Amino acid sequence: MQYLGKAFAALKNIFRRGKENQAPFSDLFVWFQNILKKNNAAMELIADMGGKIGGEFIFDRKYLSDSVKKLEDLVRSSAYDLNYITDNQYLELYGVIEDLAKKLEIELSGKMVIHGAKKIYVLNEIEDGMEDLVGFKTYNLSRISNLSGVNIPESFAVTVGGFRDYMAYNNLFEKIEGSIEECRNGQRSVESISNSIQLMILGGEIPPGLRRQILGAAERISQGKAGNCYFAIRSSGVGEDGDLSFAGLHDTFLNAPFDELLSNYKKVLASLYNQASLEYRLRMNILSLEMAMPVLYQRMVESRVSGVLFTLDPNRPDRQESLLSGSWGSGKVVVEGDAGVETFRISRSPPYPIMERQADATSLMPGSLEKDPLQEGSDEPDAGPCLTAKEVPAIMDVGLILERYFKRPLDVEWSIDESGRLWILQARQIHIPRPKRMDYTELKGVTEGHRILFKDRGMIAYRGIGAGPVWVVENDHDLNNFPRGGVLVSHYAPPWLAKVIPRASAIITDVGAVTGHMATVAREFRVPTIVGTDVATRLLASNQEVTVDTERNIVYEGLIQELIRHQLLDGPSFEMTREFQLLRRLLKKIAPLSLTDPDDPGFVPKGCQTFHDVMRFVHEKAFRALVQAGKDSRSFLRRGGKRLRSRLPLDLVLIDIGGGLAEGVDKEMYVDPDQITSLPMKALWKGLSSPDSWNTEPIPVDLKGLMSSLTRTQSAEMLGNALPSINLAVLGSNYLNLSLPLGYHFTAVDAAIGSSPENNTISFRFVGGVTDITRRSRRAALLATILEKAGFKVQMNGDLVIARAINLSEELMMDQLFLLGKLIGFARQLDVLLKNDEDVGYYFQKFREQAEKPAERHEGGKNGEHDGLYSG
Amino acid sequence: MKEEKMENTTVCILDDEAIVGDRLKPELEDDGYEVEVFTDSASALARVNETCFDIFITDLKMEGVDGMGFLERVKEKCPDSEVIVITGYATMETARESLIKGAYDFIAKPFRIGEIKAAVKKAKKKTRRRRQG
Repeated sequence: MQYLGKAFAALKNIFRRGKENQAPFSDLFVWFQNILKKNNAAMELIADMGGKIGGEFIFDRKYLSDSVKKLEDLVRSSAYDLNYITDNQYLELYGVIEDLAKKLEIELSGKMVIHGAKKIYVLNEIEDGMEDLVGFKTYNLSRISNLSGVNIPESFAVTVGGFRDYMAYNNLFEKIEGSIEECRNGQRSVESISNSIQLMILGGEIPPGLRRQILGAAERISQGKAGNCYFAIRSSGVGEDGDLSFAGLHDTFLNAPFDELLSNYKKVLASLYNQASLEYRLRMNILSLEMAMPVLYQRMVESRVSGVLFTLDPNRPDRQESLLSGSWGSGKVVVEGDAGVETFRISRSPPYPIMERQADATSLMPGSLEKDPLQEGSDEPDAGPCLTAKEVPAIMDVGLILERYFKRPLDVEWSIDESGRLWILQARQIHIPRPKRMDYTELKGVTEGHRILFKDRGMIAYRGIGAGPVWVVENDHDLNNFPRGGVLVSHYAPPWLAKVIPRASAIITDVGAVTGHMATVAREFRVPTIVGTDVATRLLASNQEVTVDTERNIVYEGLIQELIRHQLLDGPSFEMTREFQLLRRLLKKIAPLSLTDPDDPGFVPKGCQTFHDVMRFVHEKAFRALVQAGKDSRSFLRRGGKRLRSRLPLDLVLIDIGGGLAEGVDKEMYVDPDQITSLPMKALWKGLSSPDSWNTEPIPVDLKGLMSSLTRTQSAEMLGNALPSINLAVLGSNYLNLSLPLGYHFTAVDAAIGSSPENNTISFRFVGGVTDITRRSRRAALLATILEKAGFKVQMNGDLVIARAINLSEELMMDQLFLLGKLIGFARQLDVLLKNDEDVGYYFQKFREQAEKPAERHEGGKNGEHDGLYSG
Repeated sequence: MKEEKMENTTVCILDDEAIVGDRLKPELEDDGYEVEVFTDSASALARVNETCFDIFITDLKMEGVDGMGFLERVKEKCPDSEVIVITGYATMETARESLIKGAYDFIAKPFRIGEIKAAVKKAKKKTRRRRQG
């Protein structure tokens, strides 16, 4: 710290010698450093909150409100700093921050945002914690709609807000209030009260605005073919499918054509007050005016066969068996328990052998007598007339994915259409009476005899119990063959593992951070995860069956079914607690980063959707304010900037904001690379200046001329951004911001590296080129592949590549920067060389060979660590 | 011969935020403890008057009698019990004060489940030793 202070003082002195009107320039460093510090503190807080979502910590509301408060303070004061140094250029940032803060306040206050919330939501708009707004049925569907391999018909929900509108528009609240009172007092028969309320509701009129919205949403789903599109209109009551079982109490209408969408809405609402519902609510003491009925509209699947799967037999939960019922056509038959149903008792373990089958004679419909073509020549047992041998395991697979997600036995309504595609219509918990809680001696008994492969290794990123065959992923081939329900084992925790995470029953890595991208995805899909075990890839082999208990941090050999069942039947899991759900909702408004491209027109205060966005915006604009203060290299040099001595044709100016250059270089105009003390710059420079990096391929003579011109910098206007057109590196002891407007492309690296991984971040940006967009995009694709393989989270858009790495250890971060250094040298000529798509593969290989020369990375470092980074 | 069932160690959790007890109770039960949870100090104190738990886990900042007051009353009434203090206001000052007043351990919120389990285990050993000795 003392050193920093001295450095600032020295710099200030230098700047004071500059022109009078440029005096504030010196202040910029101090302010910029402050912004960086606040940025770090904010990132640390966000990472801390993110880490709490894995279930490993016990936290309370106080923690949540305190954290939000601290974050708000940091964000507000950073915005103030930015406005100070930019002469109030970004005043609207304050309004944006207050809007975000207000949203967080509302979440924290626990008030459901029904007033002002939309009346209609399509599934993918529904956020965590909206169950009271859209009803449990819809909410559950929205949670699983992004799980891979799970198809859900297009749906939308009319919310509690819609219900209230309807009731208010028709003055029904007052009318019903009296009836409910009568019902409670037993003054009139429930039947007669129910009839009169239902008649009132059915006689009402849907408010015009709501009517338009319902029809509009349905039209978007039917895509102009309203005549051929039918809907299922389902009750999605509040509390339904949740803690209380309302199964079957309220109405569902199938196959409704367009002209019945509105009348059926009223019918579903009316069913809130049907006799059975009133009696049930009376008995459960939940009869009140607060009752509400969200309604789910779901496109009808043209079912060949449909039915219900109970993932665990509720009558014999001790047996590892599921119950599957199916019948021809749409599923109402099965749900309503009529005849014509075929039922299977199926083992829960792949390949899901059928233990028992009961066929009802009427399920042998015409057509079922013909042998299914899929079954011909198959040695597998014939699944039965209405389901093929392949369909049963497919249904089981999806059912168990959903069960793993909800950690509860489920009742899943499914349907298979004419093309053989499996659809999930709804999924709800089965209420199996909880057995006496297994006490610890019984629990010990359950795991006895199962060898512990390792325990208390690494950090828990998500709590739970998962079991299945190990699948060690080293490359794309492994990834593409990942088995459903497999235990994903990997050395690193790169973001590209994300695509198989929804299919995994558990995840174990050797290296990785609880707050990294991969762990975040694992939490999103609720997959039990341990990162940083050191030993996983060494001790576990593909196809070996294991049980991963991340609640106790133990990996057992073999499948311990009792342990899994114990979790399924246990009390509500931590995900169901209010605090946990609140944290998830808060994080959605805090943590995601959507402002990644500073040159995007959306990179404005109004574009900030989260606090992370605001911090990113402030950082970027503050940096620009800092470098814009100088017009050209001379103006930077005059104020204390240094030229870097190097054999590379790169005129790089270094600006030290504290601890970035060795002491005693104050008076020098030039510095040598070994005088760089900035940690991230050292690593990057090592990569950039290593022998192969700057000249990877003999370039034809005519191109050489072109290349040399390319190392000259590009004018700011052409680059579409307002940075000065010089190669500039701003250095701090743990900080680097490098901008290289080389030739016709622009490279930027922003990195903060230190001993605490929560603060470590690298962002890399590459855009432009001299050739046509096809070649430039080809290069972008190559860079994206390389970066992704190296564990970066990558975004690509045309010829723009943005890559991020966060929260890795200092050592791994340095490796990433080394690699970026090599990549910058490698990439600058690539668009010229990439003449066709095949070249991409060639140069990918070429770069891998180069980057895998480990000797260059570290002098005597742990080279073995890096094996496998490029094994893709 | 049937092994004689060892008497379970009893734990009392007091925190005005229900989530703490709700999550901690099943965790400790898994380890074989007998757990009771309270969210207000008055009813916890009423229970202490009836029985001494082996181990107490209490928050510091609460309505009514706060954690520090609760700690004093417990140490008075049940000198053989151990008290683990958990709080979000983790400052050296409060930590020191609670330790002076006889707290066995001090854990800052939020905490890892493993962390508190380890503290409870150590406290259990200590109460056992005291009981045997």
